Amino acid sequence: MLRALAPLLVLAATLVAAADDGLSRVRSTKVMRWGCDVSGGAPFAFPDPSDPDRVIGFEVEIAEELARRLGGRAERFSADWLALIDALEADRCDVLINGFEVTAERKRVVSFSTPYFRYAQQLVVRSEDRDRFTSLADLTGRPIAVLNGSASIESLDAAGVPPSLIVQYDDSLAPFTETILGRVDACLQESFISRFFAGHDPRLALVDATFDPGVYAVVVRKGDAALLNELNAALAGMQADGTLGRILQRWGLWDDAQPALGTQRGPVVATIPEAQGTPPEDGLPWTLVLWSLARAATMTALLTVVSMPIATLAGLLLAIAILHGPKPLSRICHAYVLVTRGTPLLVQIFLLYYSLPALGAWLGIPELLTWNKVVVGIVCLAANYAAYEAEIHRAALQAIPRSQWDAARALGFTRWQTLRFIVVPQSWRLSLPAIINDLNSLIKDSSLVSMIGVQELLAVALGIGKASFAVPSMLVAAAAFYLVLSLLADWFGQSLERRARAVRALPEPIHR
Amino acid sequence: MTTPALEAQGISKRWPRTGAVLEDCSLRVERRTVHALIGSSGSGKSTLLRCLALLDPPDSGSIRVDGVLAAGEGAVAADPNLRRSIGVVFQEPSLFTHLTALANVALAPHRVLGLDPGDAHERARRALDRVHALHLGDRHPEALSGGERQRVAMARALAMEPTVLLCDEPTSALDPMLTREVMAVLRDLALDAGTTMVVVSHDMEFVTAAADSFDFLHAGRIRISGSVDRLGTRGVDDELDRFLQRS
Repeated sequence: MLRALAPLLVLAATLVAAADDGLSRVRSTKVMRWGCDVSGGAPFAFPDPSDPDRVIGFEVEIAEELARRLGGRAERFSADWLALIDALEADRCDVLINGFEVTAERKRVVSFSTPYFRYAQQLVVRSEDRDRFTSLADLTGRPIAVLNGSASIESLDAAGVPPSLIVQYDDSLAPFTETILGRVDACLQESFISRFFAGHDPRLALVDATFDPGVYAVVVRKGDAALLNELNAALAGMQADGTLGRILQRWGLWDDAQPALGTQRGPVVATIPEAQGTPPEDGLPWTLVLWSLARAATMTALLTVVSMPIATLAGLLLAIAILHGPKPLSRICHAYVLVTRGTPLLVQIFLLYYSLPALGAWLGIPELLTWNKVVVGIVCLAANYAAYEAEIHRAALQAIPRSQWDAARALGFTRWQTLRFIVVPQSWRLSLPAIINDLNSLIKDSSLVSMIGVQELLAVALGIGKASFAVPSMLVAAAAFYLVLSLLADWFGQSLERRARAVRALPEPIHR
Repeated sequence: MTTPALEAQGISKRWPRTGAVLEDCSLRVERRTVHALIGSSGSGKSTLLRCLALLDPPDSGSIRVDGVLAAGEGAVAADPNLRRSIGVVFQEPSLFTHLTALANVALAPHRVLGLDPGDAHERARRALDRVHALHLGDRHPEALSGGERQRVAMARALAMEPTVLLCDEPTSALDPMLTREVMAVLRDLALDAGTTMVVVSHDMEFVTAAADSFDFLHAGRIRISGSVDRLGTRGVDDELDRFLQRS
């Protein structure tokens, strides 16, 4: 699905006018906004399994140290990994630090700092296949799992593996799971990720020979030269005084390849337990985890509770405009419904979040059009569902018999009075069950706004699951929360229906 | 001569697909009289009534309510002030299903005439009382019989205190038992000295007992009109005789 978005995202990127100089912004606000995807998994930046609200990882520590050296503090910006470059272009953050391999393709769009980490590609196979597959050549004609958008794809491509055999997944854990389950015969990832996830799992074996080395570097907007220079200076300092070496050691990432980048090891430090890459021994800290999920569920509830009433009301106005408005307005509203229903919600979220600021910059009003991600989420959900609700209202309005209009007209009601006091109160009763149905589906669709980094229920559950090797149980837990929200919605819907059925005995009193 | 409550001159109406339904119909309804529109099915009675009610504009001709031009050349299109001075009771009661009987009757006085809720309710109670339906006030339309619904619909029209009340065969959708109940109410209203009414009806017993004047429609034209006394004598018009014989 994301591949289909590529042309739009390119459009978004080209719309971007030159953003503010990143360095002066960091200097004036004393904040370095760094982008990453917290659901990408360990050891980059991920929820601490023993305290899921905290995000930890070696890149968190690098970001904090860099920010300190630039004279400010680090502020994390989260979004889906594939959307991070667009977020940078849209000035949602100043830098990206999230395992961005330096590739020629990316260099055309963004600038890279000097590298902070060196890796190589490493294959992982099922342990029983240990002797059968000892190199990429042994896997000819077999499917290989990789992380979506990673350098492993280019490595396989360069080695002549046809695209049909390169199976891409959205997170780093899935390729290993797929290998264990036998859906693929091997997976290829950066060596330390392979070590982290597969090194302790008896069902998996690492293929010794690594190949295609590469480096990670900090990403900045193209042309943001001042910020790039400062970052390079800060990185050089961290490499020379052993700060970077210490971070890499703490996270079990230190190896013989690192000094080649000029990184000093510094004093020997032990690997911290979080970097061991093993599931927590005493299982998940469920009290904390459920607490995190409950809070994420309130975000899901907030998105729903705010956007659905807007969608319902906007849908009613759209339907009235379509049926009773002047012809041009009616056509515009009808076109809105067709376009909104005919395009994916995900695309709408992306466009509003990344292209609207670009449009704002182009128009010279960037502040006006750069909205907070929760606001963007609510606006998108409300605007998208309004189109569906409009059709429900339209059907209900048309179901009110012509004779009701005649009776009202004969009594002297104007058209708008007839709609307000006679037709809509009756059509509302007809449309309510379908609207409650949509309310239920909105609860679940709201998880799409996690693409722009809103920490709602599904995103938080997946983040914790991937960091704790417990994706299935976290998904079940999330499903339970969704079910509770959905039952609440149904209960609310039923009480609304009861109220709508109850006859209004008196016209609303006029307060004097 | 006093100004008639309702006056139509040369009304013609044709539907695009089915052709002419009314041709050159003129009628005059004096104040405080009951006027009957009679004729067989398809003769154009209901279409004429909808034109008189200002619900469908005539293709030509004019309509005056209390002497004021309401439809025709030079009329203000669909003036709500004029429309509310014409009460209509349809074949189907068409009560507002989300409101009680009392609220059905009180809604227009409150929202259209701008009376405050207390006055609107008072008026609604008086109107319900006139159709012997005061005890039904807090019932929902679903909980009323067909005849009761039609009586509430009459009260809803009466509560606006219209200059003239138009009734389009208010019993056509009812069985004989309920028809009697509604006709009795209609008769009371008609015999009430203050009411000006136009009634479309098949029921000749009702017409002769309650109406003052009549128009006999045949094939979209008014063939015979005059005082109901004329209905007693045969041989004036063949079509009228045939119609009277059938009913």
